[in-house]
Amino acid sequence: MVAAMRTSLFITCYNDTLFPETGRAVVRLLERLGVEVEFRPAQTCCGQMHANTGFRGEAFSQAKQFVKLYADAESVVIPSSSCAAMIRDQYPSLIDDLGNETLRCEFKGLLPRVHELSEFLIDKLGVEDVGAYFPHRVTYHASCHGLRALRLGDRPFRLLKNVRGLDLASLDNLDRCCGFGGTFSVKNAEVSSAMLTAKLQDVRSTRAEFCTALDNSCLMHLGGALHREFAPMRTIHMAEILASTEELPAEGLA
Amino acid sequence: MNHPVRESHPVLDPRTAAPFPEAALPVLRNAQLRKNVAHATDVIQGKRNRLVAEKTDWLELRDAASALRAHVLEHLAEYLEQFEQRCTASGGVVHWASDGAEARAIILALLREENATEVIKIKTMTSVEIQLNPALEQAGIRAIETDLAELILQLGEDEPSHVVVPALHVNRSQVREIFRRRMGLEDLQDDPQALTAAARTYLRAKFLSVPTAIGGANFLIAETGGVSVVESEGNGRMCLTLPRTMITLAGIEKVVPRYRDLEVMLQVLARSATGERMNPYTSIWTGVTPGDGPQRFHVVLLDNGRSAMLGREKERQTLKCIRCGACMNTCPVYRQTGGHAYGSVYPGPIGAILTPQLMKLEHAETLPYASSLCGACYDVCPVKINIPEVLIELRAQVTDRERESERRFFDPIYLGMRMANGAFANAGRFKAAQRMARIALWPFTGRDGWIHKLPGVGGRWTMTRDLRGLPRETFREWWEKRGKERAR
Amino acid sequence: MTAGSRELVLERVRAGLGSVESELKSDYANSPRLYTQRGSMNVNQKLALMVERLREYDAAVVECRESALDESIAAEIAGSGRRTLAAPEGLPRQWLASSVEWRIDHDLTNQQIEQVEGVVTASFCGIAESGTIVLHHSLTEGRRVLTLLPDWHLCVLRASQVVETLPEYFARCAEPPPLATYISGPSATADIEMTRIKGVHGPRFLSVLVVRDDGSERA
Repeated sequence: MVAAMRTSLFITCYNDTLFPETGRAVVRLLERLGVEVEFRPAQTCCGQMHANTGFRGEAFSQAKQFVKLYADAESVVIPSSSCAAMIRDQYPSLIDDLGNETLRCEFKGLLPRVHELSEFLIDKLGVEDVGAYFPHRVTYHASCHGLRALRLGDRPFRLLKNVRGLDLASLDNLDRCCGFGGTFSVKNAEVSSAMLTAKLQDVRSTRAEFCTALDNSCLMHLGGALHREFAPMRTIHMAEILASTEELPAEGLA
Repeated sequence: MNHPVRESHPVLDPRTAAPFPEAALPVLRNAQLRKNVAHATDVIQGKRNRLVAEKTDWLELRDAASALRAHVLEHLAEYLEQFEQRCTASGGVVHWASDGAEARAIILALLREENATEVIKIKTMTSVEIQLNPALEQAGIRAIETDLAELILQLGEDEPSHVVVPALHVNRSQVREIFRRRMGLEDLQDDPQALTAAARTYLRAKFLSVPTAIGGANFLIAETGGVSVVESEGNGRMCLTLPRTMITLAGIEKVVPRYRDLEVMLQVLARSATGERMNPYTSIWTGVTPGDGPQRFHVVLLDNGRSAMLGREKERQTLKCIRCGACMNTCPVYRQTGGHAYGSVYPGPIGAILTPQLMKLEHAETLPYASSLCGACYDVCPVKINIPEVLIELRAQVTDRERESERRFFDPIYLGMRMANGAFANAGRFKAAQRMARIALWPFTGRDGWIHKLPGVGGRWTMTRDLRGLPRETFREWWEKRGKERAR
Repeated sequence: MTAGSRELVLERVRAGLGSVESELKSDYANSPRLYTQRGSMNVNQKLALMVERLREYDAAVVECRESALDESIAAEIAGSGRRTLAAPEGLPRQWLASSVEWRIDHDLTNQQIEQVEGVVTASFCGIAESGTIVLHHSLTEGRRVLTLLPDWHLCVLRASQVVETLPEYFARCAEPPPLATYISGPSATADIEMTRIKGVHGPRFLSVLVVRDDGSERA
C-alpha cells in the first residue's frame, strides 16, 4: 500500500554537511516509493546540539525557526532519530517556555506530522518491503534516541528483513550506548572511547561487512574508529541500504 | 584490631575531587577495576531484568511508586511534622539538622551524652554525605562499620563506589589481602565463604558489646513515626536491636505517608537494588518498645540542600530517589569508570544530578556532563526520575554561569557553540559556515579523504577516531543543482 | 543547637513548594494504585509457591497437618541435633518438646540468648510470592533479639496465614505494627564479587514448618 503523498525532508545540519549521500538516498528511496519530496532551503538545525550541551537560550531560536518553517508542511521526514527525538521530547517544554500562544498551537499541530525515517516508512506509508537489494552481511546498531526516546521497536528490523540479499547479523548488548553522546565524545573523550571500544567488540564479533543505524551521529563515531583500525567493516546509514537496488547500488560501494 | 583513622574522604569530597574527565583517567587504565565493575553490574542487572520481566504489574508499580514519591514531596512539610509527632509520641527523640555540620554536631553531642568511645554503624550513605566518620574519629570515637562492604572499605582505607554494593570495585583476592592484614588472619582463604565467616566472627563481639549504634533509614513512616531499614546481611538487625541507644540519620525526603505504602516501595526497591523479590531482612520499629531493642532512640532529620531542590520544577524529581542503584547498574558510563570518578558518595546517574544540587554547583560542574544522555537510567528507575531531563537542565545552569565568566573566551566548546548558533540563524549564514568548514578542514584531510589528526579540541575526537573529510558538495548544494537540472 | 533549625528547615521546605493548593488527603487518595492488590491463587497454590520460594532461599521446609503439629515440631527439633533452645514467652506449651533444654524468654539477657543453639516461634504471616515470613513480635513470636542471635530459627507458619502478594499482607494489618521483621531467607551478602554467601549475621539456618488444615490435600 503506497500512498501518493508529499513530504518535506529535514536533512539535519550534520547530514547536510557531512553525510549528503544519506540525504540523496532518502530522496531516491522516497521517490521510488511514490512520495513527492520537497526540501525547504531555509532549514538549518533543530537545536539539539545546543540544548543538550547547556545552551538552552540558543536552542530556543532554533526551535522556533523549525516550527515556523514547517508549520504548513504536510509531513516532515528526518533521517536522524536524535533530531526527531529532540523535537518530540524537548520542543514541548522549549516552546512552552517561549510563551507564544500562536507558536504553541503551530507546534501542537506540527508535532504529529514529524517522523523519523523508519517511522515514516512503516507508519505513514505502511511499507515494510521497500524493494531494496543489498547483498551483504549487515548488523544493526540501535541508537539510544531511536531505542528509548522514539521507541522505534522492531521497525528497523522489519525494514531490513525485507532487503533482498541482506544477511542480518544480530548484535549483542544491542541496547548499550556506543558512547557518542554529542559533545560528550569530546568533553569526555576518554570515557567515550572506552565505551566505543566496548561497543566495537560486539559489533566486530558479528563479522558483518557493514554496521548500520538510523543515526549518522553514532555511525560517525563507530565508523571513525573502524577506519582508524583498518577494520574490514564500514558504517552505512540505513537509508542508503534501503535506497540500494540492483540497478542502482548504494553510493560508494566498490 | 586496628581501625585506620582517616582525616577526610578526599576522593569523595566534591569540593576537592578532580573533574570527572580527569578523575576517570586512572580508572580507565585499571583493567581489574573495570572488570570488577562490569561483572558486578552485569550480575545485578541480569537478576533485576529477570524479575522485572516476571512481575506482570511492574509498570503499574512503577507508576504508583513514582506518584507516591512525588506526592510526599508535594506535602513534605506536613508529612515531616506528622512523622515527628508520631515518633515522639512513641518515645523517640527527633532532631532537625539544617546542614551536614549541624547533623555531625547533633550526633557528637548525643554520643558524648552516652560517653561513647565506640559506635557500631549500619551502612548509610547519608553519613558519608556529611562526612560523619572522620568527625567521630577526630572526637576520639571509633566508628565500626558493620556492613561487609563498608567493613572492607574501612579496613582497606577505601571509599564506596556504589550506593548499594559499595565495594563492587574490589575482588575476592583484594578482600583477602585486606582481611589478612587487618584481622591478622594469615591463613585466610580467598573464597567468599571464608571471607564472610571471618567478618561474622570479627563483628559479633562488637554487636554484643557496643552500646550505641548509628544507622540510616530507607523509609520514615509518617503515619506511625516508624522507621524501616532494608538489608541483606543482618548487621542492621544487630545494630537496631542489641544496643542501648540507636541514632538514625535520614534525609528529609525519606518519608512515606503510610505503613501500607511499603507494599509499593519494597516491591520496586528489592527488584531494582539487588534483583531479588524481597531482600533477606526488612526491619520496622517505632520509637521505643519497652523490653525490646534500644531504649533510647534518636532520629536526625537532615536537610543539607534538599529543601532548596524542592523549589525547582525540573529538579525536584531528583528527591524521589530511593537509592536503589539501578541507574548506575545500567549506566554505560559507570560501567567504564566505576563510582569514584564521580567524586561523590552518590555516583552514577543519580549522583550526576544529586551531587551538583546538594553541593554548590561549582563543586560539581563536570558531573552533569558525565553522561552520553542514553536514557538507560530513566528506563530502569523505579520511581521514574527523568535523569536525562535533569542533566540537561543542570547543563543549562552550568553554561549560564559560564556566560558570566571570563573563562568562556578560553573555552573552545563555548566559542564553538556560539559560532554555530550564529551559523544556524539563517540558511545564508549556514551555507557560508559550511563552505568555511570545508576550507578549514581541507589541509587536515588525507589523500584517502579522511582526517586523522586535528588540533585543539578536535584532537579529542581524533585521539581515537578518524573523521571523514567534508564532502565537496553538501546535500543542499546537490538538491539545488538537481532542481536546476530538472528545470531545464 | 537545633533550636530554630526545625523552623528553618520546615520554612525552607514550605518556601520551596510554594502554595500547594491541593489537599493532602485527597491527593493521597488519588495516587494511582493499579498494581496487583489481590492474588488469584487458591490455598494449595499459595502454599506450593510459598514452599518453593522458601526452598529457593535454602530454608528447610517441612509440611504437616494441624493434628500432627506438636509431633512435627518435636521431630524437627530432635532431628536438628540441637540441645538448648529459646522460646518466646507466649509459645504454646505443647510445642516445648521434652528432648531439649528450654530457655523461656522471661527477660533473657543477650549473653544467655547467645548460648542457645536455636529458637522456635510462631509467625504473623507468610507472603508466597517472595517466600517472606513476617514477624510482628507478639508473645508467640518473641522479642526481636530472640530470632536474631540464635543460629537456628524454627518458624511455624499456618496455611491460613499465607497470602500470595505483599499488598495482601498489608491488608491483613488492622493496625500498623510497632515492630515488624520481614524474613526472606537466611541472611546473605553479595558484596564480594556478587557471589551470594549465606549466613553473615542472623540465624544461618531457617526451618519453616508449614501447617495445613486437617483434610486439605497437598497441591
